[in-house]
Amino acid sequence: MVINNLSFDIEIAAEGKLIVDIRDFSLERGRVTFLLGESGIGKSLISRALYGLLDPAELTVTVNSRPYPEYTAGESVREIQRQGFFVFQEPSSHLNPLMTLGDQLREGTLARATDRSEVLHALWEGADERDLGSILDVYPKPYRPSGGEKQRILLAMALEKIDMRPPSEDRSPEGLFVFDEPSGSLDNHYRNLFLDLLFDRFRKRPFTALVITHDYSMISRVTRTNWDVMDRVDFRELARRRGKLVMNDFEPRTYTGWVEGLRRSTESGLDDPDRKPVLVVEPFLEVFGRRLVVTRDVEGQQPARLTVPRGAMVYLKAPSGTGKTTLVKRVMGLIPGGTFEAKLKDIRLTGTTPRTFWHERIWGRSMTMVFQHADEALNLHSTMRETLLGLPVREPLTTERMTRLAGELFDGDEVGDLLGKKVRMLSGGQKQRLNLLRALALLTDVLILDEPLNGLDFESSTRVIDMLHRKMHAGMGLLVISHNEEIFDALAGVDGTYYLHAGQ
Amino acid sequence: MRRKLIEHIGSIAFVALIFALVILFLKDREASDRRARAELVAPYLKLPSVDFGNPRDRALFRETLDLFRPRSRAANDSLMKAIEAYRMAQFTDPGMKTGTGDRGLSWPAVRRLSGMYVRFIIVYAIVLGLTFYAAQTLAMIRFVRMKQGRSSYCAEFLGRAKAWNRPEAGLSRRAGVVPVLVPLFKALAKGIAYAVLFSPAYVIGYALRAGFEMDSVLFMIVLGVVSNGLLVNYANKFYTLLVAESRKGYVETALVKNLSGVYAWNSPEGISYRSLLRLPRRFPGHVLQHVYLNARHQYFPTLKEQASFLITGLIIIEMALNIQGHLCYELLQNILYRRYDIALTIILGIFVLVKVTEILVDLRQHREERRYENRG
Amino acid sequence: MKIAANTMARIRLAFLSSQHARWAVLWFAGMAVLLGWDLLFLNRPALAQIQTALLNSLVGGFLVVLFSMVLGWLSALGLHYLEQGGNRTSYLLLTFSLNLLRSLPQIIGILLGYVVLTILILQDVLRAPILQVVSMSFVVSLFVFLEVSDLIRERIGHYRALDFFDAMLCCGIKESRIINTEILRKNSLAHLVHKAVAVFGMAVFLQCSIDFIISVGLSTEVSSTNFPATLGSVLARMDSKQDILAIGMVFTDVSYITALAFRHLQGINIAFIIVFTLVCTYNIANGLVRRYHL
Repeated sequence: MVINNLSFDIEIAAEGKLIVDIRDFSLERGRVTFLLGESGIGKSLISRALYGLLDPAELTVTVNSRPYPEYTAGESVREIQRQGFFVFQEPSSHLNPLMTLGDQLREGTLARATDRSEVLHALWEGADERDLGSILDVYPKPYRPSGGEKQRILLAMALEKIDMRPPSEDRSPEGLFVFDEPSGSLDNHYRNLFLDLLFDRFRKRPFTALVITHDYSMISRVTRTNWDVMDRVDFRELARRRGKLVMNDFEPRTYTGWVEGLRRSTESGLDDPDRKPVLVVEPFLEVFGRRLVVTRDVEGQQPARLTVPRGAMVYLKAPSGTGKTTLVKRVMGLIPGGTFEAKLKDIRLTGTTPRTFWHERIWGRSMTMVFQHADEALNLHSTMRETLLGLPVREPLTTERMTRLAGELFDGDEVGDLLGKKVRMLSGGQKQRLNLLRALALLTDVLILDEPLNGLDFESSTRVIDMLHRKMHAGMGLLVISHNEEIFDALAGVDGTYYLHAGQ
Repeated sequence: MRRKLIEHIGSIAFVALIFALVILFLKDREASDRRARAELVAPYLKLPSVDFGNPRDRALFRETLDLFRPRSRAANDSLMKAIEAYRMAQFTDPGMKTGTGDRGLSWPAVRRLSGMYVRFIIVYAIVLGLTFYAAQTLAMIRFVRMKQGRSSYCAEFLGRAKAWNRPEAGLSRRAGVVPVLVPLFKALAKGIAYAVLFSPAYVIGYALRAGFEMDSVLFMIVLGVVSNGLLVNYANKFYTLLVAESRKGYVETALVKNLSGVYAWNSPEGISYRSLLRLPRRFPGHVLQHVYLNARHQYFPTLKEQASFLITGLIIIEMALNIQGHLCYELLQNILYRRYDIALTIILGIFVLVKVTEILVDLRQHREERRYENRG
Repeated sequence: MKIAANTMARIRLAFLSSQHARWAVLWFAGMAVLLGWDLLFLNRPALAQIQTALLNSLVGGFLVVLFSMVLGWLSALGLHYLEQGGNRTSYLLLTFSLNLLRSLPQIIGILLGYVVLTILILQDVLRAPILQVVSMSFVVSLFVFLEVSDLIRERIGHYRALDFFDAMLCCGIKESRIINTEILRKNSLAHLVHKAVAVFGMAVFLQCSIDFIISVGLSTEVSSTNFPATLGSVLARMDSKQDILAIGMVFTDVSYITALAFRHLQGINIAFIIVFTLVCTYNIANGLVRRYHL
């Protein structure tokens, strides 16, 4: 492969407007690079540009001052495409709905793969042929197979391609393998499994890998289990400084040290036994015909009421696909019907509570929720100010109050500009912070958060956690779903952790 | 699916019932109208001294009415009109003639209509099939050209003309002025083609009336496919679907699996004209295979609106071009002569045709959905 | 001076790169050229008639767009609230009626509507021409508004499938505001404009066709002269039909084109206006799709 520790100057523009401008984006051969940074900053675009996947009709790209068609016609890019693979971000949209998963695994150059069953058995540990067959002979529908299973199919394709590299005597690194948010839909268990499989192959015969992620907890896992190859692993963070993109080294200790600090401060913060519960949910629920049980233990033997005390955080854990988001939407009254009973302050809520009641008393007044995808939850065509204006707050939000509110999550000097900006012009991290801000402006008693650190870089994550701490001190009760187990285990502690299981 | 089937059949039954009621009501009303009019007019017709066939007598009678009832001019007007209408009807209205059997829906009429109905269905089915194929083919050609980055013919012409004018383009001048003009001719040809494809059927029909046999089935089929903007609109819909699918993620994954993404015409990795025209369309080893199959899967339900619009087009053709002996021309004539029972029966027949098409499309779509949703 | 030059340059750039602006200007230019030619070569009474017909057709088209937008919005919202409110029977009934309307071929529905209009005219209810144009447009819009309704339902459905709808509800924002302001006004304006253009094209096509068809009359007592003059009805007159027939002569004798351009102007005019308007509308709609990535 010809990418030899090259550095790239990349510019990407759409309809005349520059979206990415970076100098010295360097990719080192034979090493695994973890590329961190907030979502929407351009990590995927840059990787796609390098891999030769961008469409010159839609985007104007120059690489090292050469126009894109010239770059993609070059030998280095052809070599990358022949030997390498790219695992994209959202598994659902990256699988053809009209082809079985098995057929998609056997398509194109993957038809020549010899170790397919080995890779599949590794990723679906403990599955026999029949189980695998039932997964491979299906068409990818939105919820079945689950997002995690679809992601594993795409990762299986990448692993097959890694194993397909032709033998060479000098064990020189071959192939560029890009993984864009590979753990986005995976539980930590499967994420760790995948990382182990990847690093096993890397040890046997190195390749060049680029792993794009905003799951900082991967850092802990990788440094712990792969300390022997850490000399060939880099952590880099892409950030925006004064309008330009820069790539900085990221020191793993920055993250691991911060998590340690969180854990210590939670343990030292004495539990106040008088903390009144502000939300109590009965443990047995039925939503969309599915039975769910809330328990205090991992095994699922001790059903318990989900109790959110004032000023505390409750962390709800379950393997993905169990129904955490469904439960939380049921608690918010967004899904009517089913078996459900809860008490919010002194208000009793059941499966038959009419929608108008939720409108008048609950939504935006006593309880609110922050959704996972800021791109979907916000109106991209409103300005930041308009997003904060239409809310049913008790006292109207003047510009002064809005600026003060925004200052909690944004830099004071940039707030003035940001307020008038359209939401779609904001970066991914800024959108997520606005998403949170909107909910916080409502000053409800309970705040439900679905993946609150989604898409944030390290600095923003720390600010968000600080702000959540402040709200907890002010008496708000928080219910969190997140796959950032490390962080929220540290924050909620053992007392604040509940588990969700599928009921009988 | 069962619910949809019930809905379809239910709507046919519902419409049939409504029509039957309307026909009964109208017949009843017409009969009583006729009786009322006859009662009103009869005494005047029996006047021995007035001959209503004579214009002078009519004028005298009118003046007498005005003298007798000077304050009800409008009523006198309508009485005169009623008498005229009654007298006309005695000549023209077949229902008042003796010995003609019943007008309207009789067995000979039904047999005649059935023949026309069958012919209509055949023309409809052929035009539907042809348009379905042609719209997809046109859309795919447009899609491939778009992917090749080809600009419009006008832009190409202007580009070449500008290059021709520059002094350093000495080389191209040697080839002559023809290569510069070729895209201009192509643009003109495309313009004429657009004009024809968008023209309503009556414009084309009348333009070609002198040279073609208007009530031949072939002429109707060609006109049905080509005019009324049917082909262009549905080619456009399919093109939009192709573009939308080509932007989806699985295309990227296919590219990364080394399927070809090259759309050139004369390249081993590209697309050939023959593969676009041949049925079934297959593009092995190319991402277009993915894009095409997904677009086609989503396009199939639009066959329902296409059927409805196509029938609108066929009706326009038959009515506007006054093609005798065809179903829709009969419909228009029956409306004109107030034979509403036959008219509504024809409309019911057309409605049933649309509904049957919808049922067939829904059945097939249901089967496909079951397969792709892993339900067998 | 420089500012003026800059703005001119920017307008030119925007114009050249936007297909919809180009074709809109082209339509006006085409009409202007036609008017110029007619002023030179067509007799004044015929020209006046064509102008009235064109005006009636355009006004009719705009009215159809207006009625369709209103009806489409009302029906989409009605369906949405019935579904939310759990009022299953009303929802099913409304869906059933709308599907019925959808299955009836448009031209038949419009024909039946015109029969009703004819009866009303006979009974002297609709006397003023403007009232007649409005009623004709309303009848056409009854068979076209379903497209608008489907579009609005699809936009609402799109945002309900995402977290958008739920997120706004949780923030206490009223449902009517979510639908009308957040979804329709801020996120679907381009879609609605595109649909309006498409509906306009469809309206012109349907109105011309139905007027042409009923030129022979929908009742022995009412002839089409009782309806206001539109492009379709003027085209259906004998002299215009002769002009169109003359087009066929060009295939046998190519030099006849000159005769077409000078002598058969009335029919050629109308045919050109109809076809040209349809082509321009189609390209404007496509330009909007390309520009706003619909």
